[in-house]
Amino acid sequence: MARVGAPLAAPIAARPAWRLDSEAVVGTGVLAVVAFGVVYPVLLVVLQSFQTALPGQPAVYGLDGWRAALAEPALRSSLWNTLTVTFVRQLLSLPLAVFIAWLLARTDLPARRWIEFAFWAAFFLPPLTVTLSWILLLDPEYGLINTSLAALPFLGKGPFNIYSFWGIVWVHLITGSLTVKVILLTPAFRNMNASFEEASRVVGAGTLRTALRITVPVMAPVILSVLLLGTMVSLQTFEVEQVLGTPFRFFVFSTTIYDLLVTRVPRYDAATALSVLVLAAMLPLILAQQWLTRGRRYTTVTGQFQNKPHALGAWRWPALGVAAAVVSVVLGAPVVFALLGTFMKLFGFFHVPEPWTLDNWRTVLGDELFARSLRNTVVLAVGTAVTAVFLHSLIAYIAVRTRYAGRRLLDFVSWLPFTVPGVILGLALLWFFLGTPLLRPLYGTTAVLIVAGLISGMPLGVQIIKSGLLQLGGELEEASRIAGATWWTTYRRIVLRLMAPTLMAVGMITFVGAARNIANIALLSTTANRPLAILQLDYIAQKKLEEAVVIASIIMLISLAGALAAYLLGVRGNVG
Amino acid sequence: MAVDRASLDVHRGEVFTLLGPSGCGKTTTLRLVAGLERPDGGEITLRGRVVASVSRRIFVQPNHRNLGMVFQSYAIWPHMTVFDNVAYPLSLRGLARAAIRERVARVLDLVGLAGLEMRAATMLSGGQMQRLALCRALVYEPDLLLLDEPFSNLDAKLREQMRLELKLLQRRLGITVLFVTHDQIEALSLSDRIAVMQRGRVEQVGPPRSLYERPESAFVRDFVGSTVILRGRVSALEPGRVSVALDGALGGRTVAGRSISTAALVTGAEVHVAIRPEDIEVDGARADGAALPGVIDALLFVGDRYETRVSLGGEQRIVLLLPRSREWKEGQPVSLAFPPDTVSVWPV
Repeated sequence: MARVGAPLAAPIAARPAWRLDSEAVVGTGVLAVVAFGVVYPVLLVVLQSFQTALPGQPAVYGLDGWRAALAEPALRSSLWNTLTVTFVRQLLSLPLAVFIAWLLARTDLPARRWIEFAFWAAFFLPPLTVTLSWILLLDPEYGLINTSLAALPFLGKGPFNIYSFWGIVWVHLITGSLTVKVILLTPAFRNMNASFEEASRVVGAGTLRTALRITVPVMAPVILSVLLLGTMVSLQTFEVEQVLGTPFRFFVFSTTIYDLLVTRVPRYDAATALSVLVLAAMLPLILAQQWLTRGRRYTTVTGQFQNKPHALGAWRWPALGVAAAVVSVVLGAPVVFALLGTFMKLFGFFHVPEPWTLDNWRTVLGDELFARSLRNTVVLAVGTAVTAVFLHSLIAYIAVRTRYAGRRLLDFVSWLPFTVPGVILGLALLWFFLGTPLLRPLYGTTAVLIVAGLISGMPLGVQIIKSGLLQLGGELEEASRIAGATWWTTYRRIVLRLMAPTLMAVGMITFVGAARNIANIALLSTTANRPLAILQLDYIAQKKLEEAVVIASIIMLISLAGALAAYLLGVRGNVG
Repeated sequence: MAVDRASLDVHRGEVFTLLGPSGCGKTTTLRLVAGLERPDGGEITLRGRVVASVSRRIFVQPNHRNLGMVFQSYAIWPHMTVFDNVAYPLSLRGLARAAIRERVARVLDLVGLAGLEMRAATMLSGGQMQRLALCRALVYEPDLLLLDEPFSNLDAKLREQMRLELKLLQRRLGITVLFVTHDQIEALSLSDRIAVMQRGRVEQVGPPRSLYERPESAFVRDFVGSTVILRGRVSALEPGRVSVALDGALGGRTVAGRSISTAALVTGAEVHVAIRPEDIEVDGARADGAALPGVIDALLFVGDRYETRVSLGGEQRIVLLLPRSREWKEGQPVSLAFPPDTVSVWPV
């Protein structure tokens, strides 16, 4: 028998059986930690909704909170407002997003890579910054668009008012609804097998007919899944309504809950009862979303089919015009006017004599408060990003790659933070930290805010890593095991190397999310651990808009840098 | 349950093949041997060492089994060069750098990949990737080489070439191979012995020829090679020979064959008569006496031979291969003789 070389070391003897169950031990450990951090706060919220006594008094259980949530006109109207805002947002954004995604992925639109990146960057803009920018443009009295239009002879007064239902819908379209759909749909459209479309073209259908009759129906499950995700996100927005709705007494779920909590006599029962309603509305959406994505086959896209884009012909330039207009609204205007706003003596007043100044920057940068908040933000964002990459990848790995019995449950639990309105999650974590003796010393430290960021970033982080792992193909790891590597060596030398770009991108996304997070930590943060995002909210509450917009711009620049880094690392909305 | 009561022994130095339709449990069996799946019953022994036993609570991790495996997708690590891919298992075994370099060079040379060491693994063609996967699996001299449908991603011509190369390499190195495929030609041409599997069970184990010529079940008969089947009733029983009166359009004609040992037949019992199409003797003349009459229905010239469909009257049609050495025409009557040695009679 011919030999390739000398015989290798003798085989290693069988290990005792307990070693096999390291998978179950680690799996159960992670599930326990995640359930403790996610399920326990949710249970606290549910329990609290039946607790009617005032804070500090002995607990009394009753249905008053529920009665209020269901019967009081103010709370009922907030329910109605949430539904109408959500519905109108989705109705307007979905067709436009599908159209743009199709343009970017399936046609020869000029500069489509740049436009795709613009949407990716716009997705990272902090909603509060965008809101402030559009106030500059659409404020009923001094908004730039309104004052320009008022100068026209046939209009006495500017026609737009941002402090209105449609103003809120408009800002929402810009901050979330449209961009998130475009960045999720574009890669999905790009990965579609082109032969479906080519078959349609061959039998005689034109580009438009093919798009409407073939592409969109084939993509229907993905579109529906993105619509569900969008609905979930829009059920819990907070900042936009807080800034634009409060002046004209327009409340949605999240702002009502916040309002009930920050008044002099907080009504925890009614606030939590409302939260339970949101949670109940979210659960079926999550189950539907999981059901939709479960059947889908993830396979590495190979060069097996040619993805030749449709020629738009004469429509190239009009299509580019539409896309460029949308980009200038979602990215251009917010960035330009947020930066412009930082140099104004009086935020929003372009027509005062000598409107420009550098004082705002001087004031903010020279402020001791700012230095401390910046330090807190950096610690918070870096800490969250590093722990998130570790925890979220572990969850994703267990859910996808092991046969641990509780992996489905773990997957589901990692979605739960999506169901809880950010404000309420913050409140639940507040109780969680104050009510657990062992954790009480942590209150007031940045660690508390990191936990909030970890939990709120969990659904997205786990999803991105999961889809990356699924595309990796299990045989690459199995080949390493067969070649003689342990689980740990395989993880280090194969999985981590191949997943490095995805993990770094998740780190970037979490970094940005933590840097701009408001809803989750508004109730949790104290003066000691207050980050920039909350400092900005405090400035707005004190009507110091000039300082607020400087901080908003700084957060925006951090976010855009993170967006660029994540994009260059190659994650472009690759979410289930 | 994917695999149930599959009991197999692979001898040292042989190519043992698991053959079956997709979903029959052959890949699961292979993964059980590799340690990538955990059995919930039974025992697996490698070279006298128990690597998995449920009753004795033993399970050896795949990295401690000293096996080699070529995956269907090849699983070439895209972030490594050709050299790194092959060197990885050696570095895990703590070999010195010089020894690694020498061994990698030798094994790459063996399959004709010498000189490509520094090439990125993603820059290889399909055939090269397959050879690289083979190198990676062989370089540390595993006790057993596992092949999971290794040819299925290659085009037809390359597949034939790689099949031959693998067979020669196996003979040269004397390695023991456990091979999984759904392709009967691959199985028949490469194996010393084949186990045909269906629904998680082993139907029959044997050398390729005996499996082909003496199938023991209807499933093996129909899965390995093609079969012509006629229906009829037993008209006479002699030792070692059964005469069958055919039904339907062939009513009144009789075919003789050997009976399948596993079942006792009685006169008048309904039976199937089976024969490999290439064993049918076709004559371009009208049938007489013992032969069956047929008419060429459709005739396809495929280069080295003709593929024809012959109608036996009524709905009964069979597909035959005819030699190119003679002229055939559509509509031509032919006579089909069934040599009794090649005919088998099966209970329905």
